[in-house]
Amino acid sequence: MKFYARRIAFYAVTLWAAISLNFLIPRMLPGDPFSILMAKLQRAGGIPAGTENSIRLLLGAAEDQTLWEQYVTYWKNVLTGNLGISVTNFPTPVTELIGDAIPWTLGLVGTATVISFVLGIGLGALAGWKRGTWVDSLVPSTTMLQSLPYFWVALVLIFVFAVSLQWFPIIGAYDVFHFNGPEWSWAFVGSVLYHAFLPAVTIVISSVGGWLLGMRNMMVSTLSEDYVTTAEAKGLRPRRVFTTYAMRNAALPSLAGFGVSLGFVVAGSLVMEQVFTYPGVGKLMITAVRNNDYALMQGVFLVITLAVLAALFLMDLIYGFLDPRTRHHD
Amino acid sequence: MNRRITRGRWLMAAAALTSVTLLAAGCSGSAGGDEGGDGTGAPAAEGAATDQELVVWAGTQTPITPNFNPYAVGVLHLANGGIYESLFAYNKLQDVDPTPMLAESFEWNEDGTELTVRLRDGVTWNDGEPFTADDVVYSFTNDTVKPAYLDDAVAKDGSTVVFSFAEPAYANEFAILGSTYIVPEHVFSEHEADAGEDAEGNALTGLVAWDNAEAPVGTGPYVLDTASNAAYTAKANPDYWGGAPKVASLRYVGIDANQSAEDLLTTGQIDWTTMFVPDPERVTSTGGFGYVNTPVDPVVLYTCSNTDLGCEGAQTDVAVRQALDAAIDRSAITEKAFVGLAKPISPTFALLGRDDKWIADGMPKESPQSADAAAAGTILEEAGYTKDADGFYGKDGKPITLTLTSVDGWSDFNNAAKLIEEQAKAAGIKLTASTISWNEFADARVSGEFELIMGGVVGTSLADPFQIYREWFTGDYTQKVGTALEPGEWNISRYDDDEVNAAVQAASETNDEAAKKEAYATVQEHIVEDLPYIPIVVNGTQTFFNTTKFTGWPTEEDMYMFPPSWQGPSSGVVLGKLGGAE
Repeated sequence: MKFYARRIAFYAVTLWAAISLNFLIPRMLPGDPFSILMAKLQRAGGIPAGTENSIRLLLGAAEDQTLWEQYVTYWKNVLTGNLGISVTNFPTPVTELIGDAIPWTLGLVGTATVISFVLGIGLGALAGWKRGTWVDSLVPSTTMLQSLPYFWVALVLIFVFAVSLQWFPIIGAYDVFHFNGPEWSWAFVGSVLYHAFLPAVTIVISSVGGWLLGMRNMMVSTLSEDYVTTAEAKGLRPRRVFTTYAMRNAALPSLAGFGVSLGFVVAGSLVMEQVFTYPGVGKLMITAVRNNDYALMQGVFLVITLAVLAALFLMDLIYGFLDPRTRHHD
Repeated sequence: MNRRITRGRWLMAAAALTSVTLLAAGCSGSAGGDEGGDGTGAPAAEGAATDQELVVWAGTQTPITPNFNPYAVGVLHLANGGIYESLFAYNKLQDVDPTPMLAESFEWNEDGTELTVRLRDGVTWNDGEPFTADDVVYSFTNDTVKPAYLDDAVAKDGSTVVFSFAEPAYANEFAILGSTYIVPEHVFSEHEADAGEDAEGNALTGLVAWDNAEAPVGTGPYVLDTASNAAYTAKANPDYWGGAPKVASLRYVGIDANQSAEDLLTTGQIDWTTMFVPDPERVTSTGGFGYVNTPVDPVVLYTCSNTDLGCEGAQTDVAVRQALDAAIDRSAITEKAFVGLAKPISPTFALLGRDDKWIADGMPKESPQSADAAAAGTILEEAGYTKDADGFYGKDGKPITLTLTSVDGWSDFNNAAKLIEEQAKAAGIKLTASTISWNEFADARVSGEFELIMGGVVGTSLADPFQIYREWFTGDYTQKVGTALEPGEWNISRYDDDEVNAAVQAASETNDEAAKKEAYATVQEHIVEDLPYIPIVVNGTQTFFNTTKFTGWPTEEDMYMFPPSWQGPSSGVVLGKLGGAE
């Protein structure tokens, strides 16, 4: 019990620090939102009379609050689930913006992460099992794919499959030229899957190599363990040795890494969302940082922080349960 | 020339014919006003009626937040021009009279303190209510918009509004007639107490807090249909005063990356957009797209020039600025950094081709296109600078060192800055180009803490450089270094010259062309000599449009309006003029 109490206390402190940093960091950025907005509007062709006043009203009120007062208000808002109003997307509440974006992010980036993990573990195990054969050549080729800049891979895929061959769409989570917003129909679901294909492929291509390499190496070292030799000596079928003895044990460290990367799924994939105009969380973050939209920035960072901490906490608990050694360290 | 006229007549006849057909087809429900396209120069749609949806990208990124309140910060492009209209539409590209929109004519009194505007008759809001002079008065006097220079606006009768000012207000003509959107009093007055929250979670009340996303009521050619966070659509307003638009529906999409927009253009999925495409041939080579490049916005080096207001650095010496000006090879910059899309700039900041009449006698028409390192050296030597062992000029043993920054990712600016670094070096001036984030750029501009920044000046909206002279060059529009510029103040260089200030003031008080020219001559004499902004080029604005499906676009031959899809209210005029291609 003491173990769990300590872990919980540790996470509570981490959470406090993360949330406080989340408050401070945006305020240390150069520039103030007012002048940035004005400059942007001016660049986009002049500011209509009236808008200037509006911006002043929107952003001017904060001047007379001390940092400490702002900090107290911030905590009050965080605890009541009020993350404020986005200035760049006025007057949408931040919670609504994040709420709209998270399903898309979880759906696409989450699925792609799972596919990438399963594929990487499966192929990695096979490569380790049959090392020295042609399967092993998967290692350098996928690692090379992973080392290519994601941005470039995505652009090449778009150029070939969306622009030249026109097999896949260029932008969007669904056909924005046809549907006037999300709706419940088979045509829409089909459109979503169709639009998710290319982005998902780019994510898998650029991440599968890591899982594959890690799994293959773990597999190789597990195969040299005594219990595998014993299993083989007992005359068990190779298939059983492969799945139950070698792969199961070799996958453990990868599983820990998988937990963490699931936590980061919430952050979305910044570049993918930008390249494909996909409505996810990563893009909200970029928009917020570019425009010094404090409320949105804090909201997004908060959600990401919470997700990562929750994933780590969960992994901690599971590990404490699976492996008694982690509980009795002292 | 003859052929042009013939074509124009033919189109007018066609337009008249179609509007008659429309009248017969079932506009009987409308309030019986006369149809547009009459002698007042109102826009009339060209081409045939079409059901093909016009897809527009106006630079909006996702997620789109439906907001059609012209007073809001995040107002979407359709609202400015497509739904809400101004009294007149000014052509940013040509020295012509403004196009009458909701007003038919205007007149100044003798000393410029009273402006009488005669409104168009028979206009209705898209909810069926008639448009009246009271709506216009409301649009200028409600708490959110009332400008400080406006004393009062009064409806003299149902279709005449008189604006009065404490001081001559000629200079605000464009702001009043050309950039203020007219809103319906019967709708907007009900939302004056709308409540919301500002950026810090404090209470916010007033029109600003209202998003106007449910069936916005305007006079424009289009009516909002649907809105989501990825796109919004509009359908034609059948009762539009200029005649129902020929294009039945519009779709504005949100796109995050320029590359995606370019890909969508080349595959024919967007019909109208204004964006930078380094190789426009790639889009137009398919034959389905027309393209115009309309340079209006000057690109300059902002220099923090005024030591009296706290500027520091070598560029505060006018000789250094002049030497730099002479050392720059503008044709190389145009070709290499701006891929041939920029046009030569005038050091007087008059837009060449449009404002030529405002360039005073004896003033250079355009900045030199080639570098003259020898001249730069002479200027510096006359000012007491000497070359050191490394070949760089300096004074009192200290070489000139300058830092030129540009916003990271604005590749044309970054490349131009690099070129200037080399060109300055050739002339013996040590200048280092570096990139900064957009936020740092915005910060440096308002605070004045910089040496040189590669930046833009916003071109004026009508054929007159006055706005630039006043907002970028006079002492009233600046602050001390370290104090942030107020909104609307653009004198980033901190330039403050008594004679320029006086001449700009004089120009604002007159509507007489000769008197204005005289005042401008004084301004130009100083700014060409002092170079608080070192002129580089006039940057292009590229607009692409689908000519296979639609017709009526502004073209090189008939530039009836500034063509960008993101510019209000002119985009509304373009929308009203489009029709299906035969």
